[in-house]
Parts: sequence; C-alpha cells; structure tokens
Amino acid sequence: MDINQVKKQWQKLSTAVEDIEYAVSGHDYNVCLERDKVRDFATLMLNEGFYLVDLMAVHVTPAIEVVYQFAHFETRCRVLARAFVDDKVEMPTISDIYQGANWHERETRDFHGVVFIGHPYLKPLILPEEDVDLKPLLKAEAKLKDVDAVRRKPPEPAPAPKAKPAPKPEVKPAAVKSQEQS
Amino acid sequence: MSMDVKALEDDRHHRYVLNMGPQHPSTHGVLRVLLELEGEYAMNLLPVLGYGHRCHEKIAEFKPAKSFMPNTARMDYLGALIYNHGFAQLLEKAAGIEVPERVEYIRVITSELNRIQSHLLWYGAYLLDLGAFTPIMYSFDDREHILDILEDVTGSRLTYCYFRVGGVSKDIDEKFVTGTRAFIKRLRSRFPMYEDLVNGNIILQKRLIDVGELTPHTCARYGITGPLLRGTGVAYDMRRAEPYSIYSKFDFEIPTGTKGDCMASFMVRFHEMEQSLRIIEQALDGLPEGSIMAAKVPKKLKIPAGDYNSSVEAPRGELSYYLVSDGSDVPYRLKVRTPSYSNLSVIPEMCQGMLLSDVVSAMGALDLVIPEIDR
Repeated sequence: MDINQVKKQWQKLSTAVEDIEYAVSGHDYNVCLERDKVRDFATLMLNEGFYLVDLMAVHVTPAIEVVYQFAHFETRCRVLARAFVDDKVEMPTISDIYQGANWHERETRDFHGVVFIGHPYLKPLILPEEDVDLKPLLKAEAKLKDVDAVRRKPPEPAPAPKAKPAPKPEVKPAAVKSQEQS
Repeated sequence: MSMDVKALEDDRHHRYVLNMGPQHPSTHGVLRVLLELEGEYAMNLLPVLGYGHRCHEKIAEFKPAKSFMPNTARMDYLGALIYNHGFAQLLEKAAGIEVPERVEYIRVITSELNRIQSHLLWYGAYLLDLGAFTPIMYSFDDREHILDILEDVTGSRLTYCYFRVGGVSKDIDEKFVTGTRAFIKRLRSRFPMYEDLVNGNIILQKRLIDVGELTPHTCARYGITGPLLRGTGVAYDMRRAEPYSIYSKFDFEIPTGTKGDCMASFMVRFHEMEQSLRIIEQALDGLPEGSIMAAKVPKKLKIPAGDYNSSVEAPRGELSYYLVSDGSDVPYRLKVRTPSYSNLSVIPEMCQGMLLSDVVSAMGALDLVIPEIDR
C-alpha cells in the first residue's frame, strides 16, 4: 500500500483529509466525508487492505456524526472517517462491503437511532425488541454540545503553558499572607 | 426474534430451528444462537446478543473518566488487567501524563500473567466443550497459581482494578517476583505434558483441522483480530504493530498459523503462552527501581477537547477505547471496541453448512467472553 496514492484517492472522495499526530490522538489521518461518498470510501478502504476497527455515532449538533475507524494489518495507519447523518437521521449502509459493520450498524441504530439505508436486518441487537425507540445514548438538550466543542483545538499546546503560570500569582499572595501572619 | 424457515419440497429433509443457549455450556456465558438445521447440518445461524448488557458506555458519560476504571475490568473478566491498561493509557495520552518506568514494567508483567491466565482458562474450557474432561483440571491447577500471585498484589482474583491513571495502586514485592519466577519454571515444565496429553491427540486433530477456516480477507471484512487472525498467517499483534507501553524493548515472537482453521488458532494461543512467559522473564530481569505513581496527576483530570484512541492487544484481539472529550473531566462519548464482538460476527458466514458438533468447535475457537460483547 502506497499511502500517498491512497491519500490522493481519499482527497477525491472527501471534503477534507487531515494528518493528525499519532502520539497525541492515536490516529494518523482524519477524513471528513459527505454522506453519499461513504460507500465509495469503504470500497476503496477494503481494496487497499484496511480492516474495519469500529463504527459508532456521536450525538452533536447540527447532526449526529457517524465515525468509522479503519486500520491496516501491514503498516501502522489508523484512519478516522466521519460523516453527518441527514435530516431523516439516515446513512447508507456499508454492511455489504464490510460485513463486520452489520452488527455495529444495528448497535448504532439501537443507541442513537441512526437508520442505515440498505441494511439487510436492522433489528435491535443489544437492546430488547420492545426498546427499539429508546435511543439511550442520545444526549439531553442541556448536555448536547456543538460539534466544534468536541474537536481538537489547533493551537492546543500554546494555551496549556499559559494556563500553568496562572496559578503561580495565586501562590505569591499566599506567601505575602504568611508574611503578614508572621 | 424469529427466523424465516421455508419448508422444503422434499419432506424427508425438513428444516427446523434449534435454540442453543443462553444456558448452553458451550456458549460460555449468555449467548443465544438460533440455528436453522437440516438434519444435523446448520444451514443458518443467528446469534442473539444483549443478555449481559450493562450500559457501560452510558455509565461512562455520567462520571469522571478516572472512576470508569472498575467498569473496564467487568467487560472482559478474563483480560481485566489488559482492559485496565488500555484505559489508563487512554487517559494518560489524553491528559499528557508521563508514567514512571517501573510502572510500565509492572503493567507489562501483570498484563502478561493475565493473558496466560485467560489462555489457560480457554484451553481447559475449549477442550471441555469438545468432550475432553481431564485437561481443564490441569489448566485450572496452573491458572490457580497466577490468581494467587495476582491476588497478593492487586487484592482481587478476577475483576482486577489495579492500574491507576499515572501508575498502579500497589508496588510489587520480593514475594511477587520469586512467585512469578517459580511459576514461569512450573508452566514451562508443564508444556511438554500438554503437548503429549492434548495437542497431539488424534481426536482433537479430527475435531479441529479444516474446521472453521478463515482467510485474511474474511478477517479484514469482519474486523477479526487476535489469535484467529494470526492463525491465517498475518502476524498482526498490537504489541508489535503499534508498540504501546514498553513492549518495543522485549524480544518475543508472534506465533502464526497458515490455514486459518480451528487448529491454527488453537496452536497460536498455545504458543502465545510461552511468548508471554518470555516477556515476563525479560521484564523481571530489567525491573527498575522507582516510584509507582506519576508525580503530578490532578485529582480532577480534565481532558482537552478532541478525540483520543488507545489500542492494546487483549487476549482475544484488538481492544480500542475511543474517547470524545468536550474539555471537561467527564467523557462526552466513550466507545469500547471489543475484540470478541467483531470475532463473533463472523459466525453466520463461518459456520454455514457445518455439522452441529463442528459449530461447537468453531465457536470455542473464537474464545468468546460474552460480557465484553454485550458491554
């Protein structure tokens, strides 16, 4: 697998391909997809020898985000692909490309209510059948965050040192106080 | 839950549905499989999950990330320390905490003991599934030694909660080191006996060879990892592919098979025990002195906004924690990718057209732990 060539193909399919630092996040690439490109992307990944690590959803505004994780058996290449569901909370299935996605999609239907169009058997997997519309992992209104609130902030290392000197001035007044006491 | 069973035109071979589990002994826990049988052949399989669902992912969203550690042990009760390891590593990565070297050594030693313990239990239980009663007595005898060693240092025998963010809860002592060394010697001396007693047995070979064959491509399509994948000849082990902790320091082999059948994964697991012993030996030799806790671990562990992934090699394959954080100390979303979940999902394809008794062989080869599937 030639990663540069694969990356070029990703760029054709996606809205953004981002290199992320493995040591910080545990992933190598972040790919943002449009809904209708998810199936093409999955086909490409399978042809390049990637396996499906995981498929899950995150409830954020403006829409539920479905996250696909891929990795490779031969080289270290962890890929995170994301796509938002549409107004009807629907998403095309990839369970005919990656059969392992079958259960993950059923689980996501259980927990978040995402309907995977074209799935052969979208019945409850983990939850009992009577709880089909429970959707337990949907956030309450008060807890729901915007998608930007859960994204990594780009100048992340910069604010961290700034935050550290902040407590120091607090220490100084304490020292002054102790002088006063003495 | 129902299955569409179509009556065949020839009435002599009519199809019927057999319910296997959730109390069937070979389903190890509470897995239920609906089997559509034609005579003694399974034509269609439908696993029914969820009997052991305890909402771990929902619980994670309601309490500080640090206090989720005991939950991790209850997902895979046989690989509890390795689940601890993955989660501790996730938070350390997210919060940027450096772990002392001694901690990493202790973690590796105890994790590998845990892995051997898991493999020994699988070894006995699998053979029990296949109708051989004696081996479980031997393997539980060996396993008991590990439980005693780990009980001394962790305080529990099964669902360990020994690792902390930035360290471990208790230091290992001289008794632990001598006990572990004695155990290594003991288990090494037992391997030839297992080889003679079990591995070369003709009945075992007839039950396992050519049953439940997998290919690397099937593994990629289903996301199968661990000994099953290595049985197909792909030397993919997280300890080598994405070396975490201090695994890059140790010299060990990754046993692989070629055929991808039950026998291949059986032998892979068997040889992995020896490799784990090698890792423990090297770690004990190089065990440095030092602190067992990172210097500065804030009480309220705030995780910078963003998403984090931590993958480790659990006894059954790749375990991944995926954390989405909004900047607070409570995870916004935590997803646990458990290996058995993906491994079990291959069952309908793998077992189609098999004899019912071979289905038991194939399911045992997956080394299922149902609580980690249901979570």
